[in-house]
Amino acid sequence: MNPEDLKYHKEHTWVKVSGKKATIGITDYAQEALGDIVYIDLPEVDTIAEANTEISEIESTKATSPVISPVSGTIVEVNEELSDSPEIINEDPYGKGWIAVVELSDESELDELMDASDYEKYIEEEAK
Amino acid sequence: MRLAVIGAGPGGYVAALKAAQMGAEVTVIENIEVGGTCLNRGCIPTKALLASAETFAKTKELKNFGIELQGSVIPNLQKMVERKNKVVGIQIKGIRGLFKSWGVNLVEGKGVLLNPNKIEVEKKDGTKDVVEADKIIIATGSRPAQIPTFPFDGKNILSSDDALNITEIPKSLIIVGAGVIGCEFACIFRELGTEVTMVEMLPRAVSTEDTEISELLAKEFKKKKIKLLTGVGVEKVTSAEDGIHATLSDGKELVAEKILVSIGRALNSEGIGLETVGVKKGARGEILVDEKMQTNIEGIYAVGDVTGGMLLAHVASKEGIVAAQNACGKETKIDYSTVPAAIFTSPEIASVGLREFQAEEKGIKVKTGHFQFRALGKAHAMGEISGFIKIVAESDTDRIVGAHIIGPHASDLIHEAALAIKAGLKVKDLADTIHAHPTLSEGLMEAAEDVHGEAIHVPKK
Repeated sequence: MNPEDLKYHKEHTWVKVSGKKATIGITDYAQEALGDIVYIDLPEVDTIAEANTEISEIESTKATSPVISPVSGTIVEVNEELSDSPEIINEDPYGKGWIAVVELSDESELDELMDASDYEKYIEEEAK
Repeated sequence: MRLAVIGAGPGGYVAALKAAQMGAEVTVIENIEVGGTCLNRGCIPTKALLASAETFAKTKELKNFGIELQGSVIPNLQKMVERKNKVVGIQIKGIRGLFKSWGVNLVEGKGVLLNPNKIEVEKKDGTKDVVEADKIIIATGSRPAQIPTFPFDGKNILSSDDALNITEIPKSLIIVGAGVIGCEFACIFRELGTEVTMVEMLPRAVSTEDTEISELLAKEFKKKKIKLLTGVGVEKVTSAEDGIHATLSDGKELVAEKILVSIGRALNSEGIGLETVGVKKGARGEILVDEKMQTNIEGIYAVGDVTGGMLLAHVASKEGIVAAQNACGKETKIDYSTVPAAIFTSPEIASVGLREFQAEEKGIKVKTGHFQFRALGKAHAMGEISGFIKIVAESDTDRIVGAHIIGPHASDLIHEAALAIKAGLKVKDLADTIHAHPTLSEGLMEAAEDVHGEAIHVPKK
């Protein structure tokens, strides 16, 4: 199940807001679709993330896919653990598999994202 | 007919054997060792070291293959160099043996043209000899280019020649130039644990390859933690106690234990008497030749690197055959329309024919087909899934005009495409040919199918 306290982007990324900061990751649906993740090209700290654009690239045994940022802001932290153990994303996409933390530059963007139940419906549609 | 060949690299020794097979009385003059750069300081020794580095790299993946290791695996560069020398030695014996069997006379020393029929040889023991010939093939090759910014010392400021013989794995290494040679050494040393930083003036590594190939290589380098700086040059190199300092054109400074300079090759066209006999050279010192590999002087031919063309061993060999045939009275012209080339990085790169950007430059409309190795069962079984195959086809005719591969065994896979291009085959011909399963070659068939969006193992776009 997708956690209730997160917001979801249609490109299958999630964001967890805590004050001005937002943690970003990919959803369980995304990691399932990608299959075994073998590499993630992590973004760099202090670079700018723009909503709806690529911030990272994930390589799985099946495909190479961009990670689309759900929000805009400055990247203040990245999950370095993923560079040696990208499979953590498969194991725990909403927890230890987080990708980056962004200092939000436009909080109003959060309103455009889906909540857990909308995202649930969205992926049901997509699966059809 | 008496033929003299100056230089016994892949251009010269092949020319000598071809001419001997055609009945000529052949003398080869070589001042270092038969096999030339390719065998002694290039293709073969790097591949021998790479094989050691890759074997070591595999041990880091043992777990993935279901193998448990008790204890540790330690790379020993001195032993790797010894193995490399053994591999080279076997090939040297092979060439010498072929010379003997075809009656080719080998004179060891430095050859200098005295006139179009006479070559003076300064032998290794200091004595001089004169070789007389009816015809001459010059195949003196090339050497690592050196500029005053990088004073090679063989210890810490290295040419590619030096890098083949260091016996301790450097902790850190700066590589100047991300062309073929630089990238191959980057992979070898990185696999052995060296921290590698590459500095390339051009905007991308292996800049003569298709753009998508350079992009994927850059990603693979990032995975391996090879640092690749592009669009920047090295302006100054100084030796200090803490290592080699390199000042970059953007003002930054790099420090490393050693620096390897691979900025190109200089041609060996000086001091061999070309001026004495009036052989014409171009602006870079390259010997000018016609399609028959003949210079402006009747009966004097030149082949390989010294003619300044593609600087590839297999091109030199083909030119050697063409020169030998012409010298022996069988008129032949060189055909450069299909020249495959390989870069032994990990993953490997190979290409033949037009790059997509070249087609654009030439105004040729093309379609492309792609196929990812990770969609092949064989690639997964081998545990080597990175990379892709790209086919470039002329839109109007559907003819295959280029193929670009980055991935496992790219250098072996490329020849099916080379044959297709040489034979003027269409995309359909390749796509319709049944390919054995499970093989990496299936990727070529699928990439061809993908030109028309008909690949089976590609998801709906």
